[in-house]
Amino acid sequence: MSRLTDTLQEKVAQLHTATKSSSAYESGPTKVVGQSAQRLDAVGKATGATKYGQDLFDKKFLFAKVLRAAHPHAEILGVDTREAKKLPGVVAVLAHQDVAGTNLHGLIRRDQEVLCSRKVRYRGDAIAVVVAKTEEIAIEALTKIRVDYKPLPSVLTMEDALKPDAPKIHAEGNVLGEKHLRKGDAPKAMREADVVVEDMIQTQTVDHAFLDIEAGRARYDGKRLTIEVSGQWLHEERRLIALALGLPLEKLRIIQPATGGAFGGREDISIQIYLGLAALKLKGKTICLRYSRSESMVARHKRHPIRVHYKLGAKKDGTLVAAQITFYVDKGAYASTGIAVMRKASSHATGPYKVPNVWVDVIGVFTNNNPCGAMRGFGAAQTAIAYEGLMDRLAAKLGMDKTELRMKNLIHSGDAVTTGQIVPHATGQECFEAVLKKIDWKNRSYETGAPHLKRGYGVSVICFGLGYGDGFPDASRARCKLTADGTVEVYSSAADVGQGLMNMIAQIVAEEVGVPLERVRPIIGDTELTPESGSTSATRQTYFTGSAVQLAASELKKQLQDIAASHLEELVYEIKIENGEAYNVFHPKKRMTLPELAREGKRRGYSLEAMGVYKPPTMPENTQTGQSMRAFVTYLFGSHACQVLVDTETGEVKVERYIACHDVGKAINPDQVIGQIRGGVTQGIGMVLMEEVVMKDGRIMNPGFTDYILPTIRDVPEIECIVMENPDPGGPFGARGIGEPPLIACGPAVMSAIYDAIGKPVRTLPATPERVWRTISED
Amino acid sequence: MKKPAKAKSTDGLWPLRFTLNGRKVSAKVQPTQTLLDFLRVEMGLTGTKGACLEGECGSCYVLVDGKPMNSCLMLAPQVQDRKVTTIEGFAHNQKLDVIQRKFVECGAVQCGYCTPGLVVAAKALLAENPHPTREQFLVGMEGNICRCTGYSQILRACKLAADEMGLKKK
Repeated sequence: MSRLTDTLQEKVAQLHTATKSSSAYESGPTKVVGQSAQRLDAVGKATGATKYGQDLFDKKFLFAKVLRAAHPHAEILGVDTREAKKLPGVVAVLAHQDVAGTNLHGLIRRDQEVLCSRKVRYRGDAIAVVVAKTEEIAIEALTKIRVDYKPLPSVLTMEDALKPDAPKIHAEGNVLGEKHLRKGDAPKAMREADVVVEDMIQTQTVDHAFLDIEAGRARYDGKRLTIEVSGQWLHEERRLIALALGLPLEKLRIIQPATGGAFGGREDISIQIYLGLAALKLKGKTICLRYSRSESMVARHKRHPIRVHYKLGAKKDGTLVAAQITFYVDKGAYASTGIAVMRKASSHATGPYKVPNVWVDVIGVFTNNNPCGAMRGFGAAQTAIAYEGLMDRLAAKLGMDKTELRMKNLIHSGDAVTTGQIVPHATGQECFEAVLKKIDWKNRSYETGAPHLKRGYGVSVICFGLGYGDGFPDASRARCKLTADGTVEVYSSAADVGQGLMNMIAQIVAEEVGVPLERVRPIIGDTELTPESGSTSATRQTYFTGSAVQLAASELKKQLQDIAASHLEELVYEIKIENGEAYNVFHPKKRMTLPELAREGKRRGYSLEAMGVYKPPTMPENTQTGQSMRAFVTYLFGSHACQVLVDTETGEVKVERYIACHDVGKAINPDQVIGQIRGGVTQGIGMVLMEEVVMKDGRIMNPGFTDYILPTIRDVPEIECIVMENPDPGGPFGARGIGEPPLIACGPAVMSAIYDAIGKPVRTLPATPERVWRTISED
Repeated sequence: MKKPAKAKSTDGLWPLRFTLNGRKVSAKVQPTQTLLDFLRVEMGLTGTKGACLEGECGSCYVLVDGKPMNSCLMLAPQVQDRKVTTIEGFAHNQKLDVIQRKFVECGAVQCGYCTPGLVVAAKALLAENPHPTREQFLVGMEGNICRCTGYSQILRACKLAADEMGLKKK
């Protein structure tokens, strides 16, 4: 009797396991998710077999080149292409008249001409496209194009742009837009504050400097235009190109080659549109186009330089009471994603700190500099440098330890961020405690052994709203399919730009369906084959596409369970799929392999495909107050601590030790998460210590890696990573994301350490040796 | 340094003989063509990447007589009678070179664009010095820019490769 009861109980327990949903909270430990599985594309990349845009070229193809503006601001009176067309080997010379559609592009506001018709607004503006038999001939032909300009006074600083009599860069004026946040009465609270600190911080123009320069090819066969160029949002690129070139959407196909880094730099349209234009004119020909490094830097958008005026008020005990912040954002010549960057700056203006009264004003100003748009951190990176800088100044003024001041003001689970959105699970404090423990904050040593060497310790805590938010319809779609040979294919248009998206989706599918990773084949980046997945930006792909993929995989699994149940004549809730086989949990000998399931499913007319759509809603921020109950789908938290050594005689800063902690919800692939953290920190070190696009008269003075200084292996210590996992209910297996936060938290931590070392704030970025030395030397 | 090949033909092309990935090659080249372009366009070996095109980033490294050279700064005729090894010459019969294998295993590959150049740099370094110190590794690898990884995994891959190569010799 007792044996029977035992068996029954066992059966009930087993049944319970079998019918469990596959959500992260109910299922046991994961098998594939959470493993540092080898990157699916690593061998191809390590052997040189992987094909990037430029690897698709062939001598028998035609080559295109783009003519850029000779002035930062000028009217175009005429473009004479006759001499260029006469050059032997030139096949076509195209100007604005040759563009059949709107001739306009732009991610949020379509304000940039593909080929300028009447006016140029920065030196990267394109005027003509030459197509020739070789690249050399195309380059020579550019010199034969005569452009008749009427130069206009150029507007190179925000001060000049905002003057009442400033020349207008766009017909509507030099202000792109404004963004405001009003919470409480900040001026009144500031007057009543015991202590007030105020400062101005100026961030610089930064280039993405991805290694794989813009390159690709296009071909029009009379029915369809196929463009093979790396982007970050294929479907949106298709829409913008189709509109600009006057082509029905369905006639355009975009394929993503392997992509060598992006960092936001492939969000705006680049060579796709010139290639498309040239291919449409030359039916049946394959056209290639690549930028040189300098053209890539001259043409592409940049990270916005932002001037932040920040005023922060607190009580004597350090409790924050008010913040008043004004951001002047140099937009450069075109809108790009600027409005969204400005919104991100505003909604992240006080970071992870509780401030009851906050007023923020953001003004986006057009100039004749390079357009500024998306780059990893997207407005939040500049903002974090400002609020963390002010927290350090406040701590100094109060005579408080800067970590104590932060601890006192951090938001906790259930508190609201600046926009009024309540964060159910805020883990800034946990991350902060973890890095302080690791660096042994209480026992930090300032001993350097030499009077001219000063040591400093820096900290930062950040929060980051994931996804587009603001009520924008943000969605990702994915499809899963079982093939006849028993492979599970997963289709997504999400771009793998090196971050490891392919592994992320493959590991989720393997886990969800119950198959080994090697039975999953990701198929990505082809508008003909793969469903729209939104952009690879805003740290959103793990959360959005990961969820879409999990939904599709879960649906496919149910279908496979149905097939197995029908074929094996068993109850469907007793069917488990594990390690690529479906079996009855009580009669494990009754089982089917994946090819058998595919065969049987086909015979019975069951679908072997499933779609997943993930579309969590958000709510727009109020236009006057910037308040929203759900401005972003979720928040990420992270904290960094570092140790630097400053040579006070030369101003050189050496990062000696670096610790980064991020709450990622769940690391789908821990090695890849660590790769993202270390890469983000390295770019952050580059941003605050060395990288700067130097502009003079609207011209980039350092358009190459000889003068645009990037961090090498010598500039970064081994970055110590702490991966925290507090699951997020909205993400796949609890995962959030990790793309941008490591960069955002790095800048303020390094700046905090320099301030600690030299006792004075460096207000203008980057903190080059010269700037640090001048800061030390000034009275 | 050996003398570059001399012009003999009238079409402006220079004859070039050299060893490429262990095989003797005869070709005619534009004397102004960079070694990088020659390898990628004429030889079809696209594993070698161009990124900065001014000798700063190491993406275009190839071994010339065992030394890592920026192929973007060399002209094709300069490899006359010399031995050139590109990334395509590293793996044999699907078997990865130990450095490549360690890069793959250590998560040292992200976007992968810098990877061939880094593997070449590591190969040259370890051939000259099988047991580099940390400082020697930094000297050997500081000519390569990686924008994605933060370098730690790359350093680890190189160290593990050195260890494994050392064990094999013993």
